[in-house]
Amino acid sequence: MRILLVEDELEIQSFVKQSLTGAGYDVHTAEDGATAALLAAKYVYHAMIVDLGLPDQDGIDLILQMRKAGVTSPVLILSARRSVDDRVKGLELGGDDYLTKPFAIAELLARTRSLLRRNTPQAEDPSRLRVYDLELDTLRRRATRGDEVLNLSPQEFVLLEYLCRNAGRVVTRSMLMTEVWGMRFQPDTNVVDVHIYRLRGKIDTEGREPLIKTLRGIGYVLEGS
Amino acid sequence: MSSKAANPIMRSAAWRISLWASLAFAIGTMLVFAMLHRFVASDLQRRSDAWLSGEVGVLSDVAARTPKDRLYGRVVGEVAELASREVPYREQASTTENDAVFFLQAGDNGPLRLWVGYGDGAANLAAIRSTQASHDVPFDVRVQGFRIPFRVASVRMNDGSNIYLGLSERDEVHVLRKLRVRFLTLWVVIVLLGFIIVFFATRRMLGRVTEITEAASRIGQSDLSSRVPDTKGKDEIGHLADTLNHMLDRIESTVHQLHTITDSLAHDLRSPLTAVRGKLETALAGGVIEDHAESIVSAIDELDRLTEFLNTSLDVAEAQADALRLSRTEVDLDALVRDMIDLYEPSMSNKGLGFQMKSAGAIKIMADPGLLHRVIANLLDNELKHLPASCLVCISLEADEHMATLTLEDNGPGFDAEISRHLFERRVKGRASRGHGLGLAFVEAVVRVHGGSVTAANRREGGARLTVMLPLCEAERQNESDLLALANASDSQG
Repeated sequence: MRILLVEDELEIQSFVKQSLTGAGYDVHTAEDGATAALLAAKYVYHAMIVDLGLPDQDGIDLILQMRKAGVTSPVLILSARRSVDDRVKGLELGGDDYLTKPFAIAELLARTRSLLRRNTPQAEDPSRLRVYDLELDTLRRRATRGDEVLNLSPQEFVLLEYLCRNAGRVVTRSMLMTEVWGMRFQPDTNVVDVHIYRLRGKIDTEGREPLIKTLRGIGYVLEGS
Repeated sequence: MSSKAANPIMRSAAWRISLWASLAFAIGTMLVFAMLHRFVASDLQRRSDAWLSGEVGVLSDVAARTPKDRLYGRVVGEVAELASREVPYREQASTTENDAVFFLQAGDNGPLRLWVGYGDGAANLAAIRSTQASHDVPFDVRVQGFRIPFRVASVRMNDGSNIYLGLSERDEVHVLRKLRVRFLTLWVVIVLLGFIIVFFATRRMLGRVTEITEAASRIGQSDLSSRVPDTKGKDEIGHLADTLNHMLDRIESTVHQLHTITDSLAHDLRSPLTAVRGKLETALAGGVIEDHAESIVSAIDELDRLTEFLNTSLDVAEAQADALRLSRTEVDLDALVRDMIDLYEPSMSNKGLGFQMKSAGAIKIMADPGLLHRVIANLLDNELKHLPASCLVCISLEADEHMATLTLEDNGPGFDAEISRHLFERRVKGRASRGHGLGLAFVEAVVRVHGGSVTAANRREGGARLTVMLPLCEAERQNESDLLALANASDSQG
């Protein structure tokens, strides 16, 4: 899949491009709005990642200009502004997304992935999730590991469900805060970690293969089979 | 205006100003009139005295020259009758009997020698004799049977008798009374008119002040870009509006500057932070030896903490300058607090902290949910960081008519005495604290921007108590409708 990355800071551009390429995407880069507009007119992109602070124009204006020109690719906005502009929120309603700097690469990848998923019609999320010997029935809110039924609180179930749906992928604390608790901030204490430890205590009991792994400094990953 | 609106009018400054102005005007005009009245009265008296003195002189002359025979009484009587027809200021000719003037001649004691006038003159003579005044100048005599005193002039004849000519002061009194009645009527009308004119003029003037006040309070509450209505006149109130608008220009530009500075500061710091973090992460993912991994991980942690500090710092700066951008929606405080408790409960019980929540159900407030999450997270983070194990944390939610109150209590060591007075200032923290000292400053600033307040104290029975008050949804709406009503009222006045 082809992605257009519009970012004027070369340092950032390089590692983002590296991570996206590493994840298997075909990445085109542009350093300013004009180049981006040319590229968008020439190629069809499955998604675009646009920094708001471009040297020649405002990122939002670029997006609006491309939209006018008939470019329908979903956009992930990178913003160095603290509070998110109302105009960005307006775009978000249209299926686009935003990420404030600095961000974790895992989060950038996760958001890019979900943007691409929105654009390509897919089968409904399966109501039964299976990772290794862990099974989740999202309709009946039941989780089992092997033969044992896991006794999870509703909160823990939501957390496990999110981990299962992203099995094999890195999940950061801030992604968990946003997706599981619906809050966009970083607590000063390790509250999210404690939730994970608890969940781990119920799932990865003695004598079983540990499923939830901690990637220090990055986040967590539920190992897929 | 309905009777309900009468009270506000009586309490208004316009009412008081016009009341005092009219009072001063009324007293002033009354004093002027009193002087005028005195002047007119003395002038009238002077004229009647002059007439009396003149006439009594003529009469005494006639009396002296007329031989004292049988005709004496008739001659002098005729002359006196004639004189009495020329009474000055004569107004009432209705009575056929002339009781306004009398003439009498008598000795110091003994009977009347001559009498011209109404009645037999005995009462007049008795009254004159009982008057102890000096008889060289005209004097007042109260005669029995007459309400109004007579002015009497006298001349002593050579034969030892006295000639008295009396003139009733009735006409003078009539003139003066007429003057008073006319003046008082006019005075009441003028004072009332003055009151009405002053009242409406000041109310109009103060109405403009009220408009400015309302506009200013609206600006204070919501957007800085709107301005106080510009009045056409270049008077004091026009100046007030101008000055306020100038001030608002300055404030707006300062706030705008603050936004620009914080935005550019944020931008300038965030880009390198992003680059460094990205590189570290790439390095970590690329597989490095264990020793390096440890330092990279802690570097990433430090970077994240720096980012949080940067964010919070700028938020506090903006909130304290009332420049924090809020995106308010209707929030159920009860549900929001419960969500936060769900998030924090495992950490609390992990640390051995007990937890209790008391709430009477949904409490709707208008707030920025993102900021409120952080406010409550800050409070709970504080508890987590500072409370020793086996303490109890209790959150209670209450609401009265206008405010929602969130109380957070614990039975821990409480706030350090030395910092408890500066809890909400930036960079104030307990000695043992490892935080950056922004937590409570942030809480206070955000709550204040929402129109609420925070108080912190140590409980008497030990432990700390933090109280956060936030205005309720209904209260806000009520405020708005009040403002609207006021605006409408002033519209209808203007």
